[in-house]
Amino acid sequence: MSDLTLPAAVPAAPPEPRRSALPPLVIFALGWVALMLGTALLADAISPYATTALDLRNRLSAPIGFGGAWIHPLGTDELGRDVLSRLIASIRMSLLIAFGATIIGAVIGTTLGFLAAHFRGLIEQVVLALVDFSASLPFLILALAVLAFFGNSLALFVCLLGLHAWERYARIARGLAISAGSQGYAAAVRQLGASPWRVYGRHVLPNIASTLIVSMTLAFPEIILLESGLSFLGLGVQPPATSLGSMVGYGREYLTRAPWILLAPATVIVLTTLSVSLLGDWLRDRLDPTLR
Amino acid sequence: MLRFLFFRLLRAAVTIVMVVSFAFVVLRLSGDPAQIIMGADAPPEAVDAFRAAWGLDQPLWRQYFHYFGAILSGDLGRSMRDGRDAILLVVERIPATLALTLPALAIKLGLGIPAGVYAALHRNSWADRLVMLLAVAGFTVPSFVLGLLLVLLFAVQLGWLPSGGQESWRHGILPMLTLGIGGAAVLARFTRSAMLEVLGQPYIRTASAKGVPWRAVVWGHALPNAAIPTVTIVGFMVGSLIAGAVVVESVFSWPGVGRLLVVAVANRDLAVVQCVLLLVAATMVTANLVVDLLYGLLDPRLRNQPRAAGAH
Repeated sequence: MSDLTLPAAVPAAPPEPRRSALPPLVIFALGWVALMLGTALLADAISPYATTALDLRNRLSAPIGFGGAWIHPLGTDELGRDVLSRLIASIRMSLLIAFGATIIGAVIGTTLGFLAAHFRGLIEQVVLALVDFSASLPFLILALAVLAFFGNSLALFVCLLGLHAWERYARIARGLAISAGSQGYAAAVRQLGASPWRVYGRHVLPNIASTLIVSMTLAFPEIILLESGLSFLGLGVQPPATSLGSMVGYGREYLTRAPWILLAPATVIVLTTLSVSLLGDWLRDRLDPTLR
Repeated sequence: MLRFLFFRLLRAAVTIVMVVSFAFVVLRLSGDPAQIIMGADAPPEAVDAFRAAWGLDQPLWRQYFHYFGAILSGDLGRSMRDGRDAILLVVERIPATLALTLPALAIKLGLGIPAGVYAALHRNSWADRLVMLLAVAGFTVPSFVLGLLLVLLFAVQLGWLPSGGQESWRHGILPMLTLGIGGAAVLARFTRSAMLEVLGQPYIRTASAKGVPWRAVVWGHALPNAAIPTVTIVGFMVGSLIAGAVVVESVFSWPGVGRLLVVAVANRDLAVVQCVLLLVAATMVTANLVVDLLYGLLDPRLRNQPRAAGAH
């Protein structure tokens, strides 16, 4: 604030005019994400029926607006299970998996990136070779191979999806940590005798956190799409558990007779990935000038 | 340039070796294929005979080296289900997959790049907003949802097109569209941001300022420079020609490599899965290599200096 030369320097690089108010799309995205989070947290409390409860007198009943009644707002499936209740359980499952996997990916990637930046030499080459390896195979193919051969448990599935995009965090963390190392602050802390743990955990990490958080908001929707794709193929979340993708996969059988079984989870997938992507883009413009 | 090529080839080879090792480790250590193929109640001597026949009774390291040797001599094993060469099973599915993915690639390039360039040149116009909205929608709608929506509309409601199978060219239209639209959206978004970045560079302003017509600035200066990042993602799309249709092939019951993979994975048909993995990895690595060489052509600055490892 005391720097009187700053205003003169600003017009040289005119930034885009920043609107201070939130764009309407971002407000919508925030609202939707809040709704989804609330649904996931309160799933047991707001779910009108148990996910496996059968209502044999109301099988394949249509949702409200298409001839259905309030007893099953989003209709029922072939076995008379309430689509809304299953949708709520699916939202919780899909969000749980996506959150878990995003965090695992960020932790693994950042750690490896820091290791590469700290030790350089052989370790860095190994990490970079792993990065190359990850980037050389479409993740879906890798995941398919691992899943079917290790069998399928929820914990394994989350860990597997956690490997998605780890290489992006690794690249970012390595690059930023190396450049942080050449900036004054990291060297200064190190000279004061701080351990590498302290340097990376307390000083470098907070400085690059915004970039990593933006990467997480970009990876999150991708993981939702991956999870739902694998579950759709019948290779992800296994019954009786249900996720958004497996609901779509189940609903596919009833595409002609009961399209609502499929349309309800499909809408949720699209709106959720859309909202998180919008938020990610918005955050990126806000927080992080280094990513495009 | 030779040095650059040498190191690139070396890295490609290392990547392939890692993929082979990965396939070996995952597929061999994750369960006993003999039990799975033969069933839990198979007689023990039959299981042992099966193990001996497939080399599963050897120590792992020997299986590993044997496996490498076999791959180097072009032997990728036989399908454990019907005993045919795995490579033949996979290769005979490739034309069906390419019949979908090549037209889809044409859709992606033909729609995505012009849309992205147009949006960048008319930044913040209604056209730009529309392109970006469609691009984000194309990215966030998963391919199986898009595919099923197209089926719902064109097959169920309108009855214009068949919903699955491979009997005629009409069966291919919906899967091609499904693949093409999603990819076009990604490409449009990417092209737009590459183009915007180039348009903000000083040399564009210089070219305009010295009186070069805008059309010539765009064609002569902006497009070639924006092509460099775009080539990367197009390379990725070319590399995934073989493997990029796993989900879409399953939605439309299209008998390509992707469906073969899903079925082989479900049946634990090791040889076929390994074969697809290797084929996909080889395609991706080759595409990446070509992209790196194209960089050299597109960007003279990179021609004489080997890129630092991982600096992309």
